[in-house]
Amino acid sequence: MPVHDLGYREWIGKRNHPLIRPLYVARSGIMLIWRRKMLKLLLMVAWLPIIIPSLGVFCFEQAISDPQYMRPLSQLLRGPLQRPDLAVEMLQDPVSVRHEFWSIMILGFFRAPQLYSMILLIGLIAPLLVSYDLRSKAYLQYFSRPLSPSEYILGKSAVIWFFLGMITTLPGLVLYLLGILLSPELSVVTTTWDIPIRILLASVALIVPTTALALSYSACTVENRYASFAWFATWIMGFVAHQILSNPPGSGRGRGRMGDRMIDTERWHLISPYHTLGKVESWIFGLDTGEASVWPAIFVLLAITAIGTFFVRSRLIAKLSI
Amino acid sequence: MTKLYGGFRALDDVSLEIKTGITGLLGPNGSGKSTLIKSLLGLVQNHQGTGCVLNLTWPEEVRKIRDLVGYLPEDDCYIAGLTGIESVAFMANLSGLPRTEGLRRAHEITDFCDIGEEKYRPVEGYSTGMRQKLKFAQALVHDPPLLILDEPTTGLDPDQRDSMLNRIRTLARDHGKSILLSTHILPDVKAVCDQVTILARGKVQVFDTIENLSKPAEPTLNVTIYGDNQPFLSALGTAGHTAQVRPDGTLKITGVGTDHVHRIWDLAAATGTAIRRLAPAQNSLEEIFFRAVSASEDHPHART
Repeated sequence: MPVHDLGYREWIGKRNHPLIRPLYVARSGIMLIWRRKMLKLLLMVAWLPIIIPSLGVFCFEQAISDPQYMRPLSQLLRGPLQRPDLAVEMLQDPVSVRHEFWSIMILGFFRAPQLYSMILLIGLIAPLLVSYDLRSKAYLQYFSRPLSPSEYILGKSAVIWFFLGMITTLPGLVLYLLGILLSPELSVVTTTWDIPIRILLASVALIVPTTALALSYSACTVENRYASFAWFATWIMGFVAHQILSNPPGSGRGRGRMGDRMIDTERWHLISPYHTLGKVESWIFGLDTGEASVWPAIFVLLAITAIGTFFVRSRLIAKLSI
Repeated sequence: MTKLYGGFRALDDVSLEIKTGITGLLGPNGSGKSTLIKSLLGLVQNHQGTGCVLNLTWPEEVRKIRDLVGYLPEDDCYIAGLTGIESVAFMANLSGLPRTEGLRRAHEITDFCDIGEEKYRPVEGYSTGMRQKLKFAQALVHDPPLLILDEPTTGLDPDQRDSMLNRIRTLARDHGKSILLSTHILPDVKAVCDQVTILARGKVQVFDTIENLSKPAEPTLNVTIYGDNQPFLSALGTAGHTAQVRPDGTLKITGVGTDHVHRIWDLAAATGTAIRRLAPAQNSLEEIFFRAVSASEDHPHART
């Protein structure tokens, strides 16, 4: 028995603009994901690799004033990064290669640890978004409100964008900021001002198509484990197929080095999402100047985004018609 | 309104006017009730027709219509992971209520729907009845002038069912809500509805107030007597009245209304018959329903 019962009361008030309603879908999704301890841990772990490129940038900036740092950096460029030309240039005039060196460090951060973190993170959270809603028929709740399927997709996508931004864009920008703070003078901003913009563009290239692909897998089935399996299989099989086709038996080529993985100029990159993204990101950071070969990769990413979004929308409309 | 699923006409030129108050939407399985509701809300597409819902043109302004409608779906649907109160507040936010206001309102409505402390538990753990109450709270949280309730009493125990019907009645009577109640449970319709629409085979078969539908085609009295009914039946026949003995022994006398009931008393006195019970006959909702459904099967294009 309630102590105080108001009964039913009418509500009179100003309603929010319909355009901000997808934000509530996103907020609710983020809140639900945030409750998972495992994902919180993954987010924290995903930040750890930032130490490696930070050290690289720190050494580079120290090398400008203290030549003893030149030697390890030069070895790094000649060895794992496969840029002996840059090593020679650095020994002559380190300031002139600052932009390129920073870009390589940040791209390396995007390509190696963050892409793997991204694959793992999306594999864990994306199936929970649309797949769960299809299983529990929550779409009936969403669409009985003035929310269109496109706004629903936007809201759900924003959940993934938020978490991917947390592990890619934000650390990338923090890395840039660290570079500024570690450099001997603030004038480095004048030569590196475009890097944050490139970080944002590379984030968009990474986040948007992968989100569309993940949501389309999530919308395929009410069993989220199948969606997770399909997601991981796409990346692993694409990667393996690319490695096999690029290094056929007897070709004499060994295991790809870091430089190969970062700036991929081989013709098979389109069959591997990992290498397709790498191609576009390298181009965005100005490290791959082969513009003609990047357009097919951009087209593939755009096609994945468009087809993925269309598929999710169609699935939702089809579900409502039953 | 016409809705085709491939070649199947789920709604076949349906035309109806739903007035203020509580309207029962009845029909056998597959009659098109849920399709009608989903079409009204714009959840299914490719329909033909025009209309007006709360002074908004349908289907052009269907999103504005959804803003003014509270919909309780028949299906067991919930947003996994959220607690009851979060679910209701979330629906309030999607309907445009600001965040704090949505939460305040969610608390108020969950209290009104008697969800109690259960509202702080995740919805996956709710019983069927509790989920039904939660869906009702979600439909109501933004204070819509029109409520569309699809099987609202499913899964509720008798007490909860009575409480739910009371809430529905209160909302219509005291708060001026228009309610479209789709259900298979005829006593629910009889208990709360002012008017009824019966759909069968995608067509409107019956559409009238309960009061009008309850009246027989011609005045009729149901009479129960003690002892042998033969003398009384003979007297009725002689007086020109038609009487029919029903399986339970009750006499159904047609052509005599409550205005002329004294004739029956006179005939009973003359034949020495003791009348145990005398009441004006009413069509039961079950009869109306079965008649409408049978008519639709016999004459697919007829309207009762």
